[in-house]
Amino acid sequence: MQADTVISTRIDAVSVTVYRAPDRAAGAIDRNWPRGYALVTETRTVDLPQGESVVRFEGVAEGLMPETAILTGMPRGVREKNRDARLLSPAGLVDAYLKRRVTLRRTDRATGKVTEQEAILSAGPTGGVIVRTEQGYEALGCSGLPERMLYPQAPKDLSPRPTLSVIATSDRATRATLQLTYLAEGFDWSASYVADMQGDGSRLDLMAWLTVANGGVTGFADAQLNVIAGQPHRQPRGDQPRASGGPLRLTCWPMDITSTHPRWNLFSVEMPPAMMAGGAQEIVVTGQRATRAVFSPMAVAAPPPPAPVVAEQEDLGDLKFYRVPVSVTVAASSQKQVALLRQPGVKVERLYAATVSGALDAGESRPMTLRLRLQNRKDDGLGLPMPSGRVAVFEQVDDMRLLAGEADIGDKAADERIDYDLAESADVRIAVRPTGSTRERPDWTIALSNARPFDVTAEVTIPHDIEPRPKDMERRGNAWIWRVTVPANGKADLTYTRRLPR
Amino acid sequence: MTALRLFVPLLCALPIAALAQDAADPTGASAQGDVAVTIYNGGQSLVQDDRQLAMTQGRNRIEFPDVSARIRPETVTLSGPGIAIVEQNFDYDLLSPDKLMDKAVGQEVTLVRTNPATGAETRERAKILAANGGIVLQIGARIEVLRDDGLPVRVIFDRVPPNLRAKPTLSVTVDAARGGTVPTRLSYLTPNMGWTADYVALFDAAKGAMDMQGWVTLTNNTGTTFNNARTILVAGNPANGGGRRNWWQSSSGAIDQAGTESGPRERLGDYYLYPLERRTTIANAQQKQVSFLDVKGAPARATYEYLNPWLGSSAEPLSASSVLKFSTSKQGGLGDQLPAGTIRVYMRDARGDPQFIGENSIDHTPMGSSMALRTGEAFDVKVRPTVEQRMKKGGSRWETRMRYTLTNARPEAITIDLAQDGLWGDTRVTAQSVEGRRVSADRMEWSVPVRANGSVDLTVTFESRY
Repeated sequence: MQADTVISTRIDAVSVTVYRAPDRAAGAIDRNWPRGYALVTETRTVDLPQGESVVRFEGVAEGLMPETAILTGMPRGVREKNRDARLLSPAGLVDAYLKRRVTLRRTDRATGKVTEQEAILSAGPTGGVIVRTEQGYEALGCSGLPERMLYPQAPKDLSPRPTLSVIATSDRATRATLQLTYLAEGFDWSASYVADMQGDGSRLDLMAWLTVANGGVTGFADAQLNVIAGQPHRQPRGDQPRASGGPLRLTCWPMDITSTHPRWNLFSVEMPPAMMAGGAQEIVVTGQRATRAVFSPMAVAAPPPPAPVVAEQEDLGDLKFYRVPVSVTVAASSQKQVALLRQPGVKVERLYAATVSGALDAGESRPMTLRLRLQNRKDDGLGLPMPSGRVAVFEQVDDMRLLAGEADIGDKAADERIDYDLAESADVRIAVRPTGSTRERPDWTIALSNARPFDVTAEVTIPHDIEPRPKDMERRGNAWIWRVTVPANGKADLTYTRRLPR
Repeated sequence: MTALRLFVPLLCALPIAALAQDAADPTGASAQGDVAVTIYNGGQSLVQDDRQLAMTQGRNRIEFPDVSARIRPETVTLSGPGIAIVEQNFDYDLLSPDKLMDKAVGQEVTLVRTNPATGAETRERAKILAANGGIVLQIGARIEVLRDDGLPVRVIFDRVPPNLRAKPTLSVTVDAARGGTVPTRLSYLTPNMGWTADYVALFDAAKGAMDMQGWVTLTNNTGTTFNNARTILVAGNPANGGGRRNWWQSSSGAIDQAGTESGPRERLGDYYLYPLERRTTIANAQQKQVSFLDVKGAPARATYEYLNPWLGSSAEPLSASSVLKFSTSKQGGLGDQLPAGTIRVYMRDARGDPQFIGENSIDHTPMGSSMALRTGEAFDVKVRPTVEQRMKKGGSRWETRMRYTLTNARPEAITIDLAQDGLWGDTRVTAQSVEGRRVSADRMEWSVPVRANGSVDLTVTFESRY
């Protein structure tokens, strides 16, 4: 019995929840094919006939993982779900009509006369197409004549795009509202933080963009968009069965003729790089722009205005769930940005950090790293879950907003320490050298120097044990943290005995 | 020219009958008979195909189109009353334009030339001398290269070589005791068709319960569609000595305690059978899902785990794993054995929409097992292990003081199961701030309660000897 086919193309309502690529802690989204995934929930209405019917869902996300599809709302459940990767395409048609009758139509270039001929497809679609006519066997597209194949109808089981279909039963003809939920590959998101230092450098205004990317061919209009921060476990998964079909490549027998050029070429002539003129010109243009920005009173770069729409955060099990409070369109092959959080006046500590690298330090002076430290707590103006992402820190210099540095941070829960390692400072430096007199006394001296006209706080990580055990140092992991204030245009040093592992 | 004109009607008259015979079935129907498919987990399937074959007495060469393109020919058996197998062949030399031309070297073909100005066609016979890079022809007494002038020429072959096929084809030569229609059964193994189980678990943390649905996901990449097939799924992989694990096929480790209960499901030896209720069509390049399990309201709870390696320490807090615990027992559990597959866990958000919170794989799991499924890393629950002090206590004795800082940024109190492994040898605990359990010689576990938005330090002193 041939079951009725119901085709559902319209999506009444859709919600898209995007999950980050599991192994991409930081860094850019792969825009061609984002490595994350999304949970898509579509509401659709279908008119079911009485008895058994095949319902085909068209317009689902391109990266749909069929094993994750859940369908609710069918009056008597679903007997089976199928995902067909056989596509209606030139090659798919040849495959479907193999050993079947088609019409071969040739048009005369000179007279325009059209001749039609019955033919049977003998071979194809891989490696070319061979047809059998009444005269014998011929290869399609090898004669140089305009010729094409006509098929009587499109095969029913080939679909225009990968389609999910289900077999369902209904006692009577009815209209059903269905919820189709599935995971789909080809989505990703990241948090992009923008931090603006306030005038005195003790606080910063923090805001974050939620950047969502959809790399598939299917877009979702008026979608409820959510993202999830955290790391749900994902099983490694094999590739989907490849969509069969695609272009039909007509290959022929070898086509060289007497006047065919030999395969080898002359050596290519090496040209000097043609960059010079263009590059020089560009530098001039940039310079002009910069000058104009400095002197024009109109170009005062202000922090971006507060976003009217900010994602709402809630807990979902052990993950963090962000809901965009308005409907948005998640277009095909696009990136979209919505404000994730906005937190003005976050207390920040400015540190200079370095790590003693032990035997590698031979006394030469190294620059220390400028580190901005935030404590993720309410008292400091924060106390929020902070999803991993890249932060760009800006500082206001006169009337210009300049980039001070960029850093990648991981997922930070409330009450955690957040360090932004921004840049190396040429003015605050560290030198570590062994000063021990004998092999039994492996003494080391850390010398810090500050060429800035302010006191700075330095934090040096000493990744080995110290003898005797220090009382006033913080233990962090396997290391000791030496924290000291280096006076303006001054120096600070520490001598300690390293406890040798025995 | 007159000679050619005579030739043309002869050619045209020739193959009408042959045309019909070459197209085995121009309507495109499958040549399969009554098909039964048994699918194993490891991507291997047994296909049984009952076909009615017309035979004459004595030797018959029978071709079987519509078998799996990935058939393992050594596993083919054809059985039927009064037939004996002489030989079996599996030909996969495929028909394509270049092979057709290559095999036509030394033979005659018909060339049809079209005059580009007038459209007039002229025909002539030509002998193909070689097909190396280009086609060299002999036409009467002259030699030329095909399409050397770039003008259109159709090449028409009289026949295709007998062993070139459109698709890989199985052919069997049998000796039939008598003629007529013989019921036969063709059976073979084919890779590229397998199944896994996919589970959907909707977890409700407030109620401490979950709903679980199980789906069989069947994948067919054999290049062939099996029509209206009786289908049996076997939970087990009979290849590789019963699916013995190699080191790279690590166990998922989801079974805490293996169960000892038996269910009512059909069995084949030690394998469970999952027959599909109705016949189904397994199309090529298709992934098909059939439901086999639906349990509502089974008890389940969420816990946290953290495993620290010996002398493991970190400057940054590390996330604990979120673990979902449940049972497959008849009492207080799912009440079924679970074939190997992937469990996807969902939870409802504040608006009641289910959202995905993680997945993990399970092995074949007997009924009555207690399960611990790691679904992901907890955002708010973290552990920072620190080696506080390591001291030599004389001889080969060492004292190691560990501090584990457990933090909870969630608004409710939780318990973290913290494990320390690497305790092989004579390692003893001399002091601990929370009483732990020595679960094995190598491993110690502590269940540490942490209050809402709080943090707890667990300190443990180990004494080891080398």
